[in-house]
Amino acid sequence: MNKSEIRRLEIIEKRVRELAEEFGLLTTDILFEIVPSQRMLEGMAYGFPANFSHWSFGRDYEKMRTIYDHSGAGIPYEVVWNFDIPRAFVVETNPFALNALIVAHVYGHVDFFLASRYCQHGRSFSDIAEEARNAAQRFREYEAKYGKEKVEKTIDAGISIRWQEHPDLFFEENLDNDAAREHLIMREREKLKRARDFYSEFKKLETKEEIENIQNYLRHSAELTPPEPIHDLLGYVVRYSAALHSWQRDILSVIRNQSRALSPNARTKMLNEGWATYWHVRIMRKLFEEGFLTKEEHGVFNSFHSGVTRDHKLGFNWYRLGPMLYEYVEERWNKGQFGKEYDECENPIEKVYWDKKAGKGTEKIFSLRSLYNDRMAVEEFFTDEFIWRNKLFIFKREINEQTGDISYVIVERSPETIRQMLKKQFASPLGTQQIVITNSDYHRRGELCLKHHYYGIEFDGLYRDGTLQNLYFLWGKRVFLETVVDKNSVEFEFNGKQIKISK
Amino acid sequence: MSIIKPDIIAEKGRQDAKRHRQKQREAIKKNLPEIIADESIITSKKGKIIKIPIKAIDIPHFKPKSGKDTFGVGQGDGKPGDIIGKEKGQGTSSGKAGNAPGEEYIETEVEIEELIELMLEDLGLPNLEEKEQKQLIVDFGWRIKGRSKAGIWSLLDARATAKEGIRRFWFFLRALKQETDLPELTCFSALKKAKGIMEDALKFLHNPSFEPEEKEIEPFPILENDDLRFRKIEENIRYQSQAVIIAMMDVSGSMGALKKYLARSMLFWLTNFLRKIYEKVEIRFIIHHATAKNVDEESFFKTGESGGTYCYTAYELAGSLIETEYLASAWNVYVWHFSDGDDFDPKRTVKEMRNIFAKNISMVGYGEIKAEDGFYREKAAKDSDLLEHIKNTFEVEEIKGGIRMMVGKSVPLLSVIIEKKEHLLLALQEFLNKRRWSNE
Repeated sequence: MNKSEIRRLEIIEKRVRELAEEFGLLTTDILFEIVPSQRMLEGMAYGFPANFSHWSFGRDYEKMRTIYDHSGAGIPYEVVWNFDIPRAFVVETNPFALNALIVAHVYGHVDFFLASRYCQHGRSFSDIAEEARNAAQRFREYEAKYGKEKVEKTIDAGISIRWQEHPDLFFEENLDNDAAREHLIMREREKLKRARDFYSEFKKLETKEEIENIQNYLRHSAELTPPEPIHDLLGYVVRYSAALHSWQRDILSVIRNQSRALSPNARTKMLNEGWATYWHVRIMRKLFEEGFLTKEEHGVFNSFHSGVTRDHKLGFNWYRLGPMLYEYVEERWNKGQFGKEYDECENPIEKVYWDKKAGKGTEKIFSLRSLYNDRMAVEEFFTDEFIWRNKLFIFKREINEQTGDISYVIVERSPETIRQMLKKQFASPLGTQQIVITNSDYHRRGELCLKHHYYGIEFDGLYRDGTLQNLYFLWGKRVFLETVVDKNSVEFEFNGKQIKISK
Repeated sequence: MSIIKPDIIAEKGRQDAKRHRQKQREAIKKNLPEIIADESIITSKKGKIIKIPIKAIDIPHFKPKSGKDTFGVGQGDGKPGDIIGKEKGQGTSSGKAGNAPGEEYIETEVEIEELIELMLEDLGLPNLEEKEQKQLIVDFGWRIKGRSKAGIWSLLDARATAKEGIRRFWFFLRALKQETDLPELTCFSALKKAKGIMEDALKFLHNPSFEPEEKEIEPFPILENDDLRFRKIEENIRYQSQAVIIAMMDVSGSMGALKKYLARSMLFWLTNFLRKIYEKVEIRFIIHHATAKNVDEESFFKTGESGGTYCYTAYELAGSLIETEYLASAWNVYVWHFSDGDDFDPKRTVKEMRNIFAKNISMVGYGEIKAEDGFYREKAAKDSDLLEHIKNTFEVEEIKGGIRMMVGKSVPLLSVIIEKKEHLLLALQEFLNKRRWSNE
């Protein structure tokens, strides 16, 4: 991209911002960087524009790079970070029209960052980019001082549990055991008081039982460390492990902060990509109307846009289903296809032609982008109608055991099954299972006990054992995990030498 | 706000990717037992490149177990049962490296030499560089090597001594000329008359009446003690680096395919290791059942006979092979015998074994292969007759680790019991034990 093209893009960017504001989108200053493909791929692999060194980032980079070098595919057109000043990478070799599209698309994302309560949460780590850059320098110093291997092992172990967090993003776990205990005791006492006041005159059996339960719980919880189960494994380990040096706590804290900053994005991927795509179409339409781009460039735009938003037979295309969802919701709310009357209407034909000219579409999609995450959006708006309209299905990937050939077969078109499956997927977008620390003074020897909340999904054995070993490295004492294998409850133990089933 | 085009910075990803590849190498190392037991490697030649499917290394995390079939949500036309996509399989490749976390197999190319290198590294073996190669001293008697100024008269080198004498003659002649400033011929006459004694020659020359008698200069050797040259002799020894493996195998009915396969793996690796240690390695093959014979490699692995088993016949044949072609004075001889322990006359076998030790060979290896062919189970509890006899005949130290082994205390004997693929590495490890290769 040469200087005059950059100047042209600057003009377009200015107009895009104005248009975005006219459409009612929130905007802020954005830093666009024109970069070679290599930087883009690094940005993807390292999670940030600059980050500390680790072989897993290098592995991902090399993989993407190989695919890109051989096929020219696999590179995203842009990447944008939810920083204080949002920052976007744009590949220099993109055609100009594509880069204009990207600027518009990025403005969609930035509105989402600013308005979505999930992304707002990620923004509380707004200095994360600076922290990542500084971490790179500090970690290098640690390598020189304490040895490359130790640093690497610490990062490995940190990454191992980086995505384990409370399922409710907004729930702040109290990692201070003493404060948490105090708070808990207060809360339970309060309950006790209420129970006594309320029911004392009736002296029902249940009341007695409840009081007893609370009392038991109080006694019990005073002994428990942590007083209440903790999901934030990394946070707890950093705080309470006796086996870590301060430089290791630093490394682990950096990994934890980065994960906390990034994970909200994963919960809103469909809504965020959908939103950006929905808006880039509208912004670009204006740009063409206003003559910012040529006819030829319109053609380029069309081909990229339709490429990105086409059906995917073998996978969920955010860029298609995301904007479709907003358009579907917009249409319904414009026509008044919501509320008690609509829901209770049993005449399907009447429902199809239902139009009360409510005009609430825009308002509804703006609140959808502010308040929902992907799982909630599926639950509420992936109606039978939407699923049929978009011809969704469930496919199965089958491997022929003799030949190793793989085939994909449609197995299900029932909206309810599809909805359930998507909800499940979107509930843990990073593929994590709920695990809590139930006891960090297990056997009264300071050993760590974890519990897996089992909802029908068991762990991969090799990964599970490897993770336990990493936890042992971090905790320095025996580590236990209550989980389920072949539908039987078991307790695993890693004692520093081997994995045992202890129960 | 702004659109900038920053300077290009170093490609960090590539540096970090290097570390990942290094980790993959380590993973290969960890899984050598599986890899080395892979058939495609055993039959490959030196320098051949082997493709090892290896996983990209992954960081373990609490990950759901993936079933055989996986599901996804797609979009488009079609009804349940319709096939919407196909991929060609990778085949059911055996010997996949790695039981560590990781997905996606990547084929890594490794040269067989490098794999051996990795093994050596993994086993903590000395790095066998050229200079540390095992050499053998071969005595060819005495040989002349150079000359010296002292020695016994019988070794006087007349020719060399005369040469020194002539040199001295010219030296004296020049000295006389310089001293007296007389013509060369005059000086020569005096030197000749004085029989080469300088002092006398000078006396003649100082006499004004001295008349040269000679017509021309005819140099003659003038010898002093310092000019004597004697031949020097030394022991004629040569350093040779060559070895022979005499591979012997029981091909009687009880040796099933898996057993042969294990024997073959073991032999392949022995050969390759020895190739690293010696410049030249020859392999001879002997098969036996009730009788023994020399065969080529192919028949060695393919022949299957029925009938009885007399192991001693193989040792007998090996003995004569050593005597006629591979004298231990010139060769490092490694005799390796693979059998399932069935022997109709173990007494005689150990006797022949003893004979072989007497020939000063480098090692007798006995690999008893007890793979689970069905045959093994009933006999597992008890050592084979042959093993019992070996134990009772030679003084051995028993090693119990993942594998049962016996090492001779006074004879270079190594016997191992191989029950499964994983034992190969352990056996090789013992075979390559540092002690065995340190300079005695």
